[in-house]
Amino acid sequence: MSDMFVTLGTWNWLIFGVLLMALELLAPGIFLFWLGLAALLVGLISFVTTPGWQLQILMFALFAIAAVPLWRRLARTNAAPSQDNPFLNRRSAALVGRVFTLEKPIIDGNGTVRIDDTVWRVAGPDTPAGSRVRIVQADGAHLTVTAA
Amino acid sequence: MSGFDVFAILLVLLVIVTLYSGVKTVPQGFDWTVERFGKYTGTLSPGLNIIVPFFDRIGRKINMMEQVIDIPEQEVITKDNATVTVDGVAFYQVFDAAKASYEVANLNQAIVTLTMTNIRSVMGAMDLDQVLSHRDEINERLLRVVDAAVSPWGLKVNRIEIKDIVPPADLVEAMGRQMKAERVKRADILQAEGQRQSEILRAEGAKQSQILQAEGRRESAFLDAQARERAAEAEAKATQMVSDAISKGDVAALNYFIADKYIKAFGQLADSPNQKVIMLPLEATGMLASLAGIGEIAKATFGESSASAVAAARRGGSVPSAGTPPAPPVPPRT
Repeated sequence: MSDMFVTLGTWNWLIFGVLLMALELLAPGIFLFWLGLAALLVGLISFVTTPGWQLQILMFALFAIAAVPLWRRLARTNAAPSQDNPFLNRRSAALVGRVFTLEKPIIDGNGTVRIDDTVWRVAGPDTPAGSRVRIVQADGAHLTVTAA
Repeated sequence: MSGFDVFAILLVLLVIVTLYSGVKTVPQGFDWTVERFGKYTGTLSPGLNIIVPFFDRIGRKINMMEQVIDIPEQEVITKDNATVTVDGVAFYQVFDAAKASYEVANLNQAIVTLTMTNIRSVMGAMDLDQVLSHRDEINERLLRVVDAAVSPWGLKVNRIEIKDIVPPADLVEAMGRQMKAERVKRADILQAEGQRQSEILRAEGAKQSQILQAEGRRESAFLDAQARERAAEAEAKATQMVSDAISKGDVAALNYFIADKYIKAFGQLADSPNQKVIMLPLEATGMLASLAGIGEIAKATFGESSASAVAAARRGGSVPSAGTPPAPPVPPRT
């Protein structure tokens, strides 16, 4: 292994980095990308100064760990979650603001509303059946309503 | 190879493993729970997530999409003791990954068992006919009960559908016969009703036609009577006119009419096809003599004055001349 490093010289890290990035594309699981990034970085440094291969490996490990918080900060500031369907798998959240007719009266804070041909239990102030309620909050399958 | 060499290589391996365990990409449609030392601490939503390596661990990977599970078929005894085989499907969706992970063990089996027992209790309270015809109601009641029951598990059951309700074969056969009998009954009734209707229509037609005929007869009889009345009136008037004429003028005019009729009647006799031989006193004198006899009667009736008037008229030659042969002079009979 060390022979290979010696013969290929400083190109080792660049080749390694590119290989890792290609692997990341084939088998997604975002962590290989950072390893590749770290390898490329070590390769660039070894052009300027050539430390021992052990030190290079330590640098590689350090960069890989450091890439995570950096990348996270970058992802947070840069890529705002601009989903075109923000309510995917969050069905109840999509109901907030809509107005429905109360099917069963709200007694002691609990009643039912018929939405999309299924029954949802809602919580809110006591209201007689048949009155119109607006969904103001959705927490999982629990909907909170007020009189509309 | 020095110890530092081995350490460096192992460190790289550790870094790789650490990164692998700390960086988590949750696919859309799933929520992953995070456990710190085995205790639930949070839920990872879809996208790139980072957990603390060594401390945190991924617990359950919960599917947040709506899922369908088959409710296996089971035998249900209805209120009227019919055994039906029932199966169905249930649709549910997880809303709270943590509750679905830790509040219930074996989620699918829990839902299936819950639904099956509720199917039994709902259908067991109904008659077979109700069970077969009120499927919507059964679904609705099942949905309410099961949805309320799974609520602590962070789920929502969106729909429960009874797929098949299969009554035992002999019952199906009996139902088939019942339906057939009912159809036959309806057909028979319809046919009888049709016959009745047609008979009534026919009788009504006959009645109408008879009424119309009778009305026609009545009308015609009425008109006949009127005609006869009119004819009698005309006859009376004619007679009156004749008698007036006779009372005013010569009695010979009467003779003229009689003679005219007589000759016409005779002519008809002669024309008759099956009477070629006529035995009649043909001598005109005899006929005229009979006319004279009538004249005598008239004279006796109307008196001498009228007779003289007739004679005077005869002398004056005032005899009707309508192309008929002039009446011969009547020989005096006295």
